[in-house]
Amino acid sequence: MDCAVAMNLEAAAMPESQEPLLEVCDLSLRRGQAVVLDGVNLALHPGETLGLIGESGAGKSTLALALIGLLRAPEVQLAGSMRFRGTELTRLREADYRRLRGNKIGLIFQDATAALNPCFTVGEQIAEPLKRHLGLSKWDRRERAAELMHSVGIPEPRLRLDAYPHELSGGMQQRVMIAIALACNPELLLADEPTSALDVTIQAQIMELILDRVRALNSSAIFVLHDLALGAQVCDRIAVMYAGQIVEEGPSDRVLASPLHPYTRGLKSCVVELGSRTLVPIPGQVPPLNAMPAGCRFAPRCPKAKAICGEQRPQAEIRDGRQVACWFID
Amino acid sequence: MQEPIFSLLDVERTYELRGRGWFHRASRQLKALDGVRLDLQRGDTLALVGESGSGKSTLIRLMLGLEPASDGRVLYGQRDLSQLDAEERKRFAREVAFIYQNARGSMNPRMRIEDILAEPIRLHGLCAESALPERVAALLDRVGLPTGLLQRFPSELSGGQIRRVAIARALAAEPQVIMADESVAGLDVSVQAQVLNLLRDLCREAGITLVFITHDLGVASYLCEKIAVLYLGRIVEQGPTDAILNTPRHPYTRALLQAFPRFDMPLKASLSGEIPSPVDLPKGCRFAGRCPQAQAACRETDPVLTALEAGRQVACLFPVAAA
Repeated sequence: MDCAVAMNLEAAAMPESQEPLLEVCDLSLRRGQAVVLDGVNLALHPGETLGLIGESGAGKSTLALALIGLLRAPEVQLAGSMRFRGTELTRLREADYRRLRGNKIGLIFQDATAALNPCFTVGEQIAEPLKRHLGLSKWDRRERAAELMHSVGIPEPRLRLDAYPHELSGGMQQRVMIAIALACNPELLLADEPTSALDVTIQAQIMELILDRVRALNSSAIFVLHDLALGAQVCDRIAVMYAGQIVEEGPSDRVLASPLHPYTRGLKSCVVELGSRTLVPIPGQVPPLNAMPAGCRFAPRCPKAKAICGEQRPQAEIRDGRQVACWFID
Repeated sequence: MQEPIFSLLDVERTYELRGRGWFHRASRQLKALDGVRLDLQRGDTLALVGESGSGKSTLIRLMLGLEPASDGRVLYGQRDLSQLDAEERKRFAREVAFIYQNARGSMNPRMRIEDILAEPIRLHGLCAESALPERVAALLDRVGLPTGLLQRFPSELSGGQIRRVAIARALAAEPQVIMADESVAGLDVSVQAQVLNLLRDLCREAGITLVFITHDLGVASYLCEKIAVLYLGRIVEQGPTDAILNTPRHPYTRALLQAFPRFDMPLKASLSGEIPSPVDLPKGCRFAGRCPQAQAACRETDPVLTALEAGRQVACLFPVAAA
């Protein structure tokens, strides 16, 4: 699908035709010969939450890393465009990216234990973006860090300021990382599997917290998720990725309640719900990057595949308020 | 009523924590398990559910005889696990298999899949050396893997494949009981569905008794006919899966169910706070500090696991009313 179609779709979904905060047009990412991301189109409006879902190897994390400039030339080759508030990101210099990361774009990673520096107290780590981006004084930083810790639900923040990460539980470490990500009131929050290492009870707490803070700041958020039901609960829009392409994208209630793409359907029939009686796994596995099928990348695993699917790549069409890339949409 | 295959009689497991420095030598106790009673019948499929720190893994380690109980008894058949002699111990190891949480980490990285699967068969002398290759190939086939993988090393296999090899190894000695610790955590949904279906079919076909640790109630309900919910070293509720899902009677079970992500329900953080430290346990009910309906009596009296209806036990002074 080209950008004009994407724009039309967005215009149809958003009558007030607000400028998108983030716009990704025909983005491709190559690593040597391998095409890791292929023709990705996305638009995210202020205040929206988007979920990227799909199996490992779908390119969810790669897309997130490319957006924040942690995957770029010469390591990989980018083509197409990514615009954040009108700024083209694909050609942005590292120095300018540094002004965005941790400032206008906040980041939350999956493994808080690995993401936090074990040698610094959590107070120092929360204060770092406050110093770098906002230039606050030492005293102000400490005050603000304590406020932030309070806002993410850490009890007795003033006592915990001087704690090292290992002195906190997994849930508390994740809260610290959220505090760091939100320190400069970002316009976009990127969260890569923020709760997959946590218990369900803590997961619900952390997700509620992230949504609450995102809404309070009127920011947008992109979640990389593997749990479809969680995606339905926290995301306004869902983009289903398969082998580096977006196969279906649209409002989460429609995409997940009545999926149109066979892959989205397949994913949904694998989800274990409370009291599930049967699970129907998708046969086969994601093809390796060096042996991608020529036509539709999902064709070898697709129950509906016909001759054309193996030969030509389907272009995304707009159906029922979403983009779907399949030759045989019902 | 047939004889239970496993019985836990008021099992307790405490760890001594040594105080810091000369002046703090008074040691404290960490109670990982406290007064656990559990009967497992032949052919049962039981899920142990609870948050991290609830004692699930400790319980399974005790049932495998990897750790002694500090108090109480773990019976396998009629025999106390701590009193098995060498021969009984070996028979126990053949009859009760364990699938570790970290499947890759539980395999020797320098052994080929073929040898990993052959080891338990050789150890227990289950077949002649000449019949071994055929038997190993049949095992791999049983878990749906191509025999081409036999010559590979664990590091060459994907996450889903390595879990299947772990299951095949557990089946190698034809066990009667399989215990598995979070065997599908961290897998993609489609691979997870494959592994769950495989485990379910194997247990049904061979009539294997299954004890499955998981923090995912969905997985528990798919795989097991019974669920035991643990909190801070105690079983707080146990019973048939359907009954527990439909009418949870313990507030903790209900909170776990509410926190489970669902397509048709909004996100709900049903519990505040985290599981407290198992050192210095509070008087009264352990869950009272986080319980949305705790009353004064809950902080005074420690509820015991009592039968509510057939096969259903709850440890709560004020159980949630059955809907």
